[in-house]
Amino acid sequence: MLRAFVIILLFLFIGEGIQTMVSLSIPGNVIGMVLIFVGLQAKLIKLEWVKPASDSLTRYLALFFVPPGVGLLLHLSLLSQYGVPILLTVGISFLITLASTAYVFHLSQKPK
Amino acid sequence: MFFISAKSLNDMLIGVLLTLGIFFLAESIYQKTGFLLLNPVLVSIASIILILLLSGYSYESYMEGGRLISFLLGPSVVALGVVFYEKLQEIGASLWRLVLAVCLGGGMSILSTWGLSQIMGLSQEVSASLLPSSVTTPIAMGISAQLGGIPSLTAAVVILVGIAGAAFGIPLLKLIGIQHEIAWGAGIGTSSHGIGTARALEESRLCGAVSALAMCLNGIFTSVFSFPLVRLMEYLGG
Repeated sequence: MLRAFVIILLFLFIGEGIQTMVSLSIPGNVIGMVLIFVGLQAKLIKLEWVKPASDSLTRYLALFFVPPGVGLLLHLSLLSQYGVPILLTVGISFLITLASTAYVFHLSQKPK
Repeated sequence: MFFISAKSLNDMLIGVLLTLGIFFLAESIYQKTGFLLLNPVLVSIASIILILLLSGYSYESYMEGGRLISFLLGPSVVALGVVFYEKLQEIGASLWRLVLAVCLGGGMSILSTWGLSQIMGLSQEVSASLLPSSVTTPIAMGISAQLGGIPSLTAAVVILVGIAGAAFGIPLLKLIGIQHEIAWGAGIGTSSHGIGTARALEESRLCGAVSALAMCLNGIFTSVFSFPLVRLMEYLGG
């Protein structure tokens, strides 16, 4: 378990490092995610080395989003200032994105 | 400098206890009722905001403890790469269709947000802030700044969209007759980034792995294409 955490944190560290050095707009944790996948695929690291930590971390992913989500509190006045048109724009666009992505995949699956 | 003051220690404890306690309660309620409006992330965030507002306890103090929990967000996103590796075999032949669907969906997200902002008569600044609302917060805030938007407004709508995706994404897709886990993951990851992905993972690890890939791809797609797409539409619109 400890080894698994160390490896995952190392990949996060490398990802953050690359992000700072190249000043990419892609966040360091996403770079770390791509790198660890490449590392596994290239057999540089073994699945058993990282699986214990990755299983428990991803089990609680939703929980880790709660504190940043509470940050909405800071933007309540900004949101209410712009109000309904913003919520409508974002809401409808969310529905379009969700449905079109899933639907394109769904259609591409059907035999011709 | 090696001390943690009693006040700060107390704040850490309160923040951690409040977050874990509320989330635990919210999960138990959700498991008992299965009512989709009672999504644990939605309920936890709303309850904690309400508690902070009513008690007057400051957000900064809450975050002393909150930070300890959200620190794990970074390693968890890295861990999604492991889940994706594990599920690659199952995704297998669908991979390219998945990439196609995510890019089209990501394009639809940019175009629809831009179009709707014009219809709603939103200012240039506000439209730019909403444009990257389907991608993960740090990418979205970067794009918003580049387009001349208000990054903190972007952060707020990104969280709202994520919560909406977590609570309603899969039920909505079932409603329009899509019954395939990979299609759910594609839709959720593309439209509602990490918060949606967390919910997709609860559905199944395959669904979560696809959602993680979709989130990553759409993040890259949106950061590359939002600027040229907006310019193109401005050009076409005269």
